[in-house]
Amino acid sequence: MAKDRSQADDFLGPLKRLLVGVLVLCLIGLFLVWRIDSPRVERFRAAVVDRVVPNVDWAMAPVTATVNLVRDFQSYQRIVQQNQDLRNELQKMKAWKEAALQLEQENARLLDLNKVRLDPRLTFVTGVVLADSGSPFRQSVLLNVGARDGIVDGWATMDGIGLVGRISGVGRDTSRVILLTDPASRIPATIQPSGQTAIVQGDNTAAPPISFLEDPDLVRPGDRVVSSGDGGVFPAGLLIGQVAADPGGRLRVVLAADYERLEFLRVLRNPGTEVIRDPGALVAPASERSAPAPLPEDGDILSETEDGNG
Amino acid sequence: MAEGSTPRVWGMRLLYVVLALILIFGKLIPLDFRPQVWAGPDLLVALTFAWALRRPEFVPALSVGLIVLLADLLFLRPPGLWAALMVIGTQALKNRARNLRDQPFMMEWLAVAGIFLAISLGNRLVLAVLMVPQAPLGLTVIHVVMTLICYPVVVMISQWVFGVRKAAPGDLDRLGQRI
Repeated sequence: MAKDRSQADDFLGPLKRLLVGVLVLCLIGLFLVWRIDSPRVERFRAAVVDRVVPNVDWAMAPVTATVNLVRDFQSYQRIVQQNQDLRNELQKMKAWKEAALQLEQENARLLDLNKVRLDPRLTFVTGVVLADSGSPFRQSVLLNVGARDGIVDGWATMDGIGLVGRISGVGRDTSRVILLTDPASRIPATIQPSGQTAIVQGDNTAAPPISFLEDPDLVRPGDRVVSSGDGGVFPAGLLIGQVAADPGGRLRVVLAADYERLEFLRVLRNPGTEVIRDPGALVAPASERSAPAPLPEDGDILSETEDGNG
Repeated sequence: MAEGSTPRVWGMRLLYVVLALILIFGKLIPLDFRPQVWAGPDLLVALTFAWALRRPEFVPALSVGLIVLLADLLFLRPPGLWAALMVIGTQALKNRARNLRDQPFMMEWLAVAGIFLAISLGNRLVLAVLMVPQAPLGLTVIHVVMTLICYPVVVMISQWVFGVRKAAPGDLDRLGQRI
């Protein structure tokens, strides 16, 4: 029997080495294909994630819940202090709420007077966070909503307050959100009140730096950073965070979203910004078809404005 | 597969796959979404190397390749590259397993460190050549160092909990053949 085996080994040794070589070649081939035709392999990745992660959710959920419970329990120790703080904050918030309501009414009146046409309201799909990226080098989360719920690549994702990231990779039941802190994340932003545009560029730190800023002197720590909607990728005006300067003097964004606990995320349905394809009747040679009909259109705009504000 | 015929070997192969899956999903648990300043150890690498040096037959190349490929896909890494490097590294360690068997643990640790450094460098080099954006170098260094620090612990747990010991010289397998 021993003799048989050694013969078998002689026969199997080179064969095994060959098989290992084939395996390595297949894996490197997959990597090269990914480098050449990334979208196809990324779709494959999304499909794999879609099959695997929801299946183990039952196992991960209790562990997550337990750890969070322990953390909550630790916070009981300072519950009295916390309660007091919250009450104080609530008082302040009430004052702010009153001010906000008055401003909102005033704003609505002014918009109405000026006949401003507002953007249609953004609607959203809310998803639960299933898993995080699992790697210290990437910052992303998996949501339990996917193509089945109409999620499309590139849509913005928020928690209750601020922008969290954008969808990148959609499976049938899951989708991946690349967080603003990921090294691959670049979000066009406007800094208020100066109105400067910049790019919020993730770099694997908690506060992503602001780059491509035209005039840094106009920007102060504490300014609000909102998405600018440039490039038509994101809706404009979503709160990203506040400007802060790091010890090196570089401007960074302190994110408004609570990255310590991402549990429910809103995916904003973005119908896409409309592109103007008309060459412009005044510049192009006039033809009968493109002649504008000013009067009825005017009436349309008027009535729609009233609808929008009402 | 001549040496794979015993049920224990198949059981341990299965155990390796199960442990690897547990490690992968342990990392996926959504607890903290802030970027970390330091990278934790890659226990999957430590486990694979420790087992490959002790009982090469428990970690066949195919299961290493598929497990690490799954990790590549789930962890948003470039798919295939790290898996291929891990298979190569594991095979290199398996080839040395027989020589390292009667050496002190320090030598084994050094061998593992060498292989892990080599494949980490290879990974960064290939990514740099193909101009794939990659993590900062400091984070990779911390990652490698943390993994190497955790390696003895993984070895101890493998030995005492799962019974993956080095075959002593002169040990016989089920078929009466010297391992």
